[in-house]
Amino acid sequence: MAMKNVMGIIYTGEKDSFLRELTLMRAIAAMPVAGRYRVIDFLVSGLVNSGIKNVGVIMQKNYHSLMDHLGSGKEWDLHGKNDGLYILPPFLTRENVGVYSGSLDALHSNFGYLRRSKQEYVLLCNSLIIFNTNFTDMFEAHEHGGADVTIMYTQNPEMRRPEYGVYFDINKEGLITDVEIDPTHPRYENTCMEVFLLRKELLLELVDRGAAHGYHDLTRDVFQRLIRDAGMRVAGFEYKDVCYRMDSVQSYFKFNMDVIDPKIRHALFNEEHPVYTKVRDELPARYLENAKVINAMVADGCIVDGTVEHCVLFRGVKVAKGAVLKNCVIMQDSVIEEDVHLENCILDKQAIVKRGGKLIGPSSYPIVISKNMTI
Amino acid sequence: MLKKKECIAMLLAGGQGSRLGILTANMAKPAIPYGGKYRIIDFPLSNCTNSGIDVVGVLTQYQPLELNAYIGSGSPWDLDLAHGGVYVLPPYVKGKQGEWYSGTANAIYQNVAFIEQFNPEYVLILSGDHIYKMNYNAMLRFHIEKGCDVTIAVREVPWEEASRFGIMNTDADNAINEFEEKPAKPKSNKASMGVYIFTWDKLRAYLCDDAQDPKSSNDFGKNIIPNMLRDKQKLYAFDFEGYWKDVGTIESLWEANMDLLNMPMPIDLYDKKWRIYGRNPGVAPHYIAEGAVTRSSLITEGCEVYGRVEHSVLFAGVQVMQGASVIDSVIMPNAIIERGAQVCRAIVAEGAVIGAGAKVGEETGNIAVVGQNVKLAAGTTVKAGEQRAE
Repeated sequence: MAMKNVMGIIYTGEKDSFLRELTLMRAIAAMPVAGRYRVIDFLVSGLVNSGIKNVGVIMQKNYHSLMDHLGSGKEWDLHGKNDGLYILPPFLTRENVGVYSGSLDALHSNFGYLRRSKQEYVLLCNSLIIFNTNFTDMFEAHEHGGADVTIMYTQNPEMRRPEYGVYFDINKEGLITDVEIDPTHPRYENTCMEVFLLRKELLLELVDRGAAHGYHDLTRDVFQRLIRDAGMRVAGFEYKDVCYRMDSVQSYFKFNMDVIDPKIRHALFNEEHPVYTKVRDELPARYLENAKVINAMVADGCIVDGTVEHCVLFRGVKVAKGAVLKNCVIMQDSVIEEDVHLENCILDKQAIVKRGGKLIGPSSYPIVISKNMTI
Repeated sequence: MLKKKECIAMLLAGGQGSRLGILTANMAKPAIPYGGKYRIIDFPLSNCTNSGIDVVGVLTQYQPLELNAYIGSGSPWDLDLAHGGVYVLPPYVKGKQGEWYSGTANAIYQNVAFIEQFNPEYVLILSGDHIYKMNYNAMLRFHIEKGCDVTIAVREVPWEEASRFGIMNTDADNAINEFEEKPAKPKSNKASMGVYIFTWDKLRAYLCDDAQDPKSSNDFGKNIIPNMLRDKQKLYAFDFEGYWKDVGTIESLWEANMDLLNMPMPIDLYDKKWRIYGRNPGVAPHYIAEGAVTRSSLITEGCEVYGRVEHSVLFAGVQVMQGASVIDSVIMPNAIIERGAQVCRAIVAEGAVIGAGAKVGEETGNIAVVGQNVKLAAGTTVKAGEQRAE
């Protein structure tokens, strides 16, 4: 299988402050989503479902919960003797300063791992984006198109952000002719999905050359220059399915609310591309006498006796009688006591809202309750 | 020689479970789904792990494929170990001979060589037929303390039911002086649970003797235990208190599932110190649509509910469409209840499809069963107590 010749590298970025208190203690890649998953599960599962056997995860800060989640890689069948899951946190050596200032730094620090891996191709991706695909089509397009580098992009308008993101101009042959980084008003409708495919030898050369020139960022310092100064064929590959960018509290909230919708859910979770995650052996969710549930996604281990409308309940959440929840994301093991009323709230893990509590946020900006808080 | 183990478990999983009718047509009884997420065998396997017993031989014979696939490497129960773990043991050819397991004792006898590899002091014999949480290590300590040759786990059953069980008559110290299989006039209400701990040297000797006896039915209850009593060996009863359910019949399997809907649960599966592990299907949390009703029920991952679910247990990936109702029922993985279908007091097996407007089961009477992958045409009626295999 061709994809065995591809290694995956997931860059879990430096953008963790984007999700404010939710990412004080964890990387965005480790954010709980959709009732039982973490953001990174979608990418790791997508790589594995495509037939990739060697996955490196570059970590920056706050990586304890991410490491804890990925473990040996067993849940993704990445715990074999050959290849498997490699966790790549920053480390200090003579030529390595520890904290990475960009993706190029991170790749340069892990030069040895890249060189030792036996695959001929590298698929670089960024854990900030949630999508579920099989990368085989992109690989085939790359092989047949004869480009030096292939970059995935989307025309989904929801992926555009003012003053943030990478945008491409693409010509009729599918080649990228211009790159804009963080423009106030993006001029091009093609948004970069931050998935790059190229030969490993080329990547090693680009990283080595870039580092020797004091560059830090692969997109800005390497690909943008290469495209502008011509000389290299960089192709675009369009991704047409559901995708979400996790870069703010609002976008996190929107993703969770959207995933309740059967159409979005079926696009992200289907039998051909299952999404794997760490298993917690829990009983099925339990509905008691007074439960009233409308349009909600509920994980195992929950006990519901109240009213739940358009919410995502993670594993082990308890909703007591008389409580009313509307448009809420309630993370693992949180407890909602009797007669509580919550609207447009995100409760982080193990939060408790005491009897009679009332929290109503505006639909445009949810109230966030931090982990372990009691209200 | 592998690393020595103090005690290893041998789990008898070869029985057909014929009283479960069409549910065991394609799978051994221990593989039967239970409680929304589990299979029966998860209980003894999880009990072993939680009791610190890390070698489990699973003796299979009848329809083993589903069970073999389910057990796999043993990782869901933390039994994928470098030293020990779970071993599936089907009958095999030895020299010029080779034969099926002719009885429970014979199944162990044919695997003496397997057991000897671990050089154990004690062997725990289990069956894959019951729902219960039990600390086998406490029983092992009791066995060692009393210096027994065999310890048999017993539980007190109501006197009026005692004549349905294998009853142990004991003295005040719990030493067993008599064993009666289904006595007409029971002298005790201590029923055997089919859980034994043997001192291995003793068991091996009795198994070898039993194998030489052409008249023996090679069964623990009928031969080994009576022979040991006859020879005045040291047999003790170990009292077990707590939930224990034989799920050997359609009715009892249904009841055992319904038991989980009571709060507090008669068997506490929320206990984090004694988790019951199982293989996870790896699907998204379930979805309850607008207009659905979900009450007094257990619903798990991958389900989609558009209709009414009351006092029922739904396994992974079940779909209940608009206008359909599921009441007092057990719906096994990936079954689909189409629009307007009514399911009441029924067990719908894995992958079955109940066509639109069909009616399965009745409000009273015996439990109706729809078998694995059966596609019921729209409007079909399945009466109380009826079993549909096609």
